[in-house]
Amino acid sequence: MATKEIKRYKSKPFDCWKLAKEIRANHYREIAESRTEGGKKLLIGGGTESMIGLPAGLGDYVFFGGEPYSASFSAGSPQGAVECMEATESYGLARDLCSYFRNYVGSLLLNKYYFGGPFPKADFYLQTHFCDTHGKWYQLVSEMVGVPYFSTDLVPYRWDETEEGKKQKLEFLSGQLLDAIEWMEKTTGREYQDELLIEAVKNEMRSTSLWAQCAQLNQNIPAAMDEKSMYSFYILAVLMRHKPEVVRFYEILLDEMKDRVANQIAAVPTERFRLLHDSQPPWYALHIFRYLEKFGVACVGANYEYGLSGGWDYKEGEYLRPAKPLQDQGWPLKTREDACRALAYWWLEYHVLARGIRFSGPGKNNLVMKEIKDWNCDGLMIHLNRGCEGLATGQMEIRLALTEAGIPVMTYEGNVGDPREFDEPRTLARIDAFMESVGLDMIED
Amino acid sequence: MAVATSTIEKIKNVVQNRHQYAQDWQKKNGGKLLGVFCTYVPEEIAYAAGVLPVRLLGSHEPQDVTEPYLFGMFCPFSRDVLAQGLKGRFSYLNGIAVAHTCMHINQAFESWSLHLPVERSLFVSMPSKVQSPRALPLLTGQMGIFKSEIEEWTGNKISDADLDRAIDVYNTNRRLMWEVYATRKAENPPITGLETMYVALAQQMMDKEEHSQLLRELLEELKTRKLDRNTGARLMILGSEDDDTEFLKMVEAVGATIVTDDHCTGTRYFWNEVERSGGNRLEDLANRYINRTPCPNRDWPGRVRFPRVLEMAKDYGVQGAIIIQQKFCDPHEADIPSLTAFLKKNGIPTLFLEFDVTVPVGQFRIRVEAFLETIGQEDLF
Amino acid sequence: MITAGIDMGAKTIKVVILKDGQIIGRGNVFSGFETRESAEEALRLALDEAGLTLKDIQTIYATGAGRKEAPHAVNDITEVGADARGIFNLFPKVRTLIDVGAEEGRGIKCSAEGKVIDFVVNEKCAAGAGSFTESMARALEVSLEDFGKISLTSNKEIPMNAQCAVFAESEVVSLIHAKTPKADIAKSVHDAIASRIISMVRRVGIDQEVALIGGVAYNVGFVDALKRGLESDVIIPENPEYIGALGAALAAAENTN
Repeated sequence: MATKEIKRYKSKPFDCWKLAKEIRANHYREIAESRTEGGKKLLIGGGTESMIGLPAGLGDYVFFGGEPYSASFSAGSPQGAVECMEATESYGLARDLCSYFRNYVGSLLLNKYYFGGPFPKADFYLQTHFCDTHGKWYQLVSEMVGVPYFSTDLVPYRWDETEEGKKQKLEFLSGQLLDAIEWMEKTTGREYQDELLIEAVKNEMRSTSLWAQCAQLNQNIPAAMDEKSMYSFYILAVLMRHKPEVVRFYEILLDEMKDRVANQIAAVPTERFRLLHDSQPPWYALHIFRYLEKFGVACVGANYEYGLSGGWDYKEGEYLRPAKPLQDQGWPLKTREDACRALAYWWLEYHVLARGIRFSGPGKNNLVMKEIKDWNCDGLMIHLNRGCEGLATGQMEIRLALTEAGIPVMTYEGNVGDPREFDEPRTLARIDAFMESVGLDMIED
Repeated sequence: MAVATSTIEKIKNVVQNRHQYAQDWQKKNGGKLLGVFCTYVPEEIAYAAGVLPVRLLGSHEPQDVTEPYLFGMFCPFSRDVLAQGLKGRFSYLNGIAVAHTCMHINQAFESWSLHLPVERSLFVSMPSKVQSPRALPLLTGQMGIFKSEIEEWTGNKISDADLDRAIDVYNTNRRLMWEVYATRKAENPPITGLETMYVALAQQMMDKEEHSQLLRELLEELKTRKLDRNTGARLMILGSEDDDTEFLKMVEAVGATIVTDDHCTGTRYFWNEVERSGGNRLEDLANRYINRTPCPNRDWPGRVRFPRVLEMAKDYGVQGAIIIQQKFCDPHEADIPSLTAFLKKNGIPTLFLEFDVTVPVGQFRIRVEAFLETIGQEDLF
Repeated sequence: MITAGIDMGAKTIKVVILKDGQIIGRGNVFSGFETRESAEEALRLALDEAGLTLKDIQTIYATGAGRKEAPHAVNDITEVGADARGIFNLFPKVRTLIDVGAEEGRGIKCSAEGKVIDFVVNEKCAAGAGSFTESMARALEVSLEDFGKISLTSNKEIPMNAQCAVFAESEVVSLIHAKTPKADIAKSVHDAIASRIISMVRRVGIDQEVALIGGVAYNVGFVDALKRGLESDVIIPENPEYIGALGAALAAAENTN
């Protein structure tokens, strides 16, 4: 197709992108500073796919999340990440283990903090068994560091969960959250202030709902956000969804999204083919998305960055929409029990990504089909991600279901955190072949 | 030459003709056959409704059929199991069941359910944090749901008496199994690790009453059985799923005897009995599954598995442990450095081997022999 | 109209010269380190066979792993597209195309119009393609040609790891030490590779007619194992390693006015 026939949309960078960057930089600075002499701030470690807001009642703390740390490391310094992983291999951890786990443990073994200085050791570790590895990760780390460890078990609803099953699982999770608070009180000796927890829970619901609304706006043709901007934005909910500054940020972003949609401002000016991505990206090779743009292909989102922190109201065959914060649904939020129940419900009912980590099959296939449809996608790009079993769950079945429905799918093999498992020339060759098969040439500029 | 034990031959025969056994059982008893993907499925409940739980295992043959459904980065065992289904070897099953243990075997279950004809596919949301007191009400509740589903599927109402009977049958079977294992504590065990593996595998495939009968016969024979072989080094095997008889045969041919184990198709299956509280039977059952030796996916934040492994090692006079690690299994892999260090600290050296559907027996022999040499040296000084 | 296709493969470079739809010249040279020079050499060989010079060729297209380095090419297409075009020209009824080369194995689902509907390329875990067969032949101290032939004389079934080339190699070493007959080992290796390839191709589905192209198609042992594994016959065009280059030459012809 000759260049002059290609429609070009207006495009400009996000105004709030700088703010997002600042918030994130501040966060990592806070983590490092919490370890300085006399720091009164608690440093709590664990996965960000967990109850990061639960310690709010303890007062001043910062949560050091392992997954975003590892992702940043792989993205910013792939060679450094490889050194960490080699250290874990010498230690005796298998190479096919979760690469976030290995990057983190390697950093601990080498005492190397990607953001500078010694690797921050937490006062205690608080985790949620979000996948089969999460609970084990901080078990090992807390043993290595020699501090206490508590983890809650996330048993998500199945895709076709019965009302009785939902009741049981809600009891299970909300009960554990109360147990976790008691444990934290005992472990730190601090008094727990319930009002702070209630605020944190409200913020979490508000942040994740707002981000879902932003994500939903990307259904617009042309898409206002591309992969790179999405990664800069979603990460704040991942890191600090319980904090008011993140709620404020997403309010700002939502306004800007509405504006971009109203004015048809695109992330990819030559957008003519929309792809949905599946799983995390290979953080050290984000330029593959730029490569796709050379064909006029916009990657408009993924279950991953949209759904990682929850906040989606999904009814199979009917709707997939941002969930309404429970404070807006008339839920009582006056006591510690209220807050734990609300948080547990928010996770179980609205965290469809968590559901998809444990349960694949038709339920997950249908969710992806819905996303393809709602986001007006022409195809799916699956990252066969050796570094994260949870997100890779059911990928081949998804591929099969979509192919049978006539939707073009491409797969590429890689690893979210370990660059040794990614073959860039091969991946680009596959993209080329896929583009050929859907009839798209590279746009000459 | 060891005296040929006809009971062991009978048991081996069941394992090698597992499909025939299941179908014969169905012809005789009329009950449904339920393929079970994991040892956390509460089999007693199914059995109480006249169903025979049949453990699904792989065949150790390379296969080319699972790739469209289950990506190669998931454990070889889960793919081997799915392959058996796709190849029609278990086509006689009426239903399948899994309890949540891991994402790998879950996917094998989901793909089987989606692509193969089954009357029912049942899922028990087994909690991972068995160390939380909240696990008991959840699992009890899940057992209740499982019970209703089995009743609805079979059309058989499960009475308290039915459940009591099933629990008794299972408890007896577990007790007898431990008696067989206990014979291996002897200085010269009357049964090899390979033979015991067959007994353990048969246990998962058979009607427990029939298996118990064989165990009683076996125990009689073991009273006077003498093996015409050197016991050699006393080893235990640790790992996830393991039913690689070829491997065990090799190890026991180079100067060692496997005297006990901790893995999914070994002691974890029959570890503990259901303790009767006199109260809610489903709660008693739930406690049993909560208190059994945990799969690593269930063994956090504290460690229950390690002290039990050590205790068993001491009890059986174990000199060394072979860790049989299925490629790609995260929870087991995460335990390896800590487990190895823990055992070493307590005087038990370990040999780590990575397993796939087929293994390079020759290369493994070299490593096992070298391992035995180092154990031998320690004995010397 | 005269066009040419250059397939810049990982191990060998193949050239096809096409005149009005007929192949009139071919060239095949090891890629080596200086791939551009090797491509020129392959082109020279093909031109010699056709009795032409470079300026007689209207358009040259390239394909293959090193296609961006091809001399004289004005455009390039992917190996997947080239394979599909090439086979459609010769056997339009093919719906599943298997290409096994030195480094890569591919499965391509073709439409009735010769378009690529779906494709799959071997992932990291694979008992390898042509290179693995070659190194195993060396381990057994037989030529590659004999390696395929002797495998046909065995009727043993020794299971071998078909997932990991490193594991498989380990198993071969074990078998050699156990004095297993070479023929049996050869069969085992071929069965393992065929199984791996079939496993991969199943992702795009196996529909008749099935065709096999690429250098490994010359290996009679592999072909036999593939047919047994697929339980079906397989079309193997003459000069199967040139199909990619043919596809490129055809693409060049299509786009020349």
